[in-house]
Amino acid sequence: MAARVGIVLVSHSASLAEGTAELAGQVGGGAVTITTAGGTDDGRLGTSIDKVADAIRRADAGAGVLILPDLGSSVLTVRTLLADDADDLPGPLEVADAPFVEGAVAAAVTAAAGGSLKAVLDAAQEARHARKL
Amino acid sequence: MPESFEETITLAGDLHARPAGALSVAAAQFSSAVQLAVAGRADGGTAGVTGPQADAKSVLAVMQLGASSGQQVTVRAVGPDAEKAVETLIGILAAVSKAGD
Repeated sequence: MAARVGIVLVSHSASLAEGTAELAGQVGGGAVTITTAGGTDDGRLGTSIDKVADAIRRADAGAGVLILPDLGSSVLTVRTLLADDADDLPGPLEVADAPFVEGAVAAAVTAAAGGSLKAVLDAAQEARHARKL
Repeated sequence: MPESFEETITLAGDLHARPAGALSVAAAQFSSAVQLAVAGRADGGTAGVTGPQADAKSVLAVMQLGASSGQQVTVRAVGPDAEKAVETLIGILAAVSKAGD
């Protein structure tokens, strides 16, 4: 089996990131690596560049990594990391502009099915248009 | 000429998130286009009326169908591996039980 795309969930809240990873992982059938970077280094609400970098390294299986930030400064943290330290990270990397829960679930299913990084990114971003009612 | 197949099954339980994910992961393994269509309410009131449809490869679309126990779900596939795709997805739908989640 070829390597699958890894997914990193970046949230202000560690429990939000972990819960979303649990849900997306189960819907994806447990066949995809989803890592989390939630909260600050001292456990408060916020984001940590070091946690994101570590989560990217843990998610990488050789097929690329999709990073899904939740809100606002999560995006800034990811952008800062990629601008400053991209050479020290595994690649290729993409950042998804997508709703957090729906994007994570759609990305996990596409990654579990063996989709390319582009396919996983597209699946996450198409979640913006998915209706839930 | 692409092959086209379809088969219908009555759900024994609600189509929750996990089986929806299993359907989409399975559907993505086939090159055929695969659609799910729901018809027939649990009370039988609109049986036979065409209901909502979804691309089986999109898990969010499959979840949005909200297919529930007692409803008929039709799997339609068009493409070179359509027959196998229908057989595989019907198998997953058949495993959806009342206890499933």
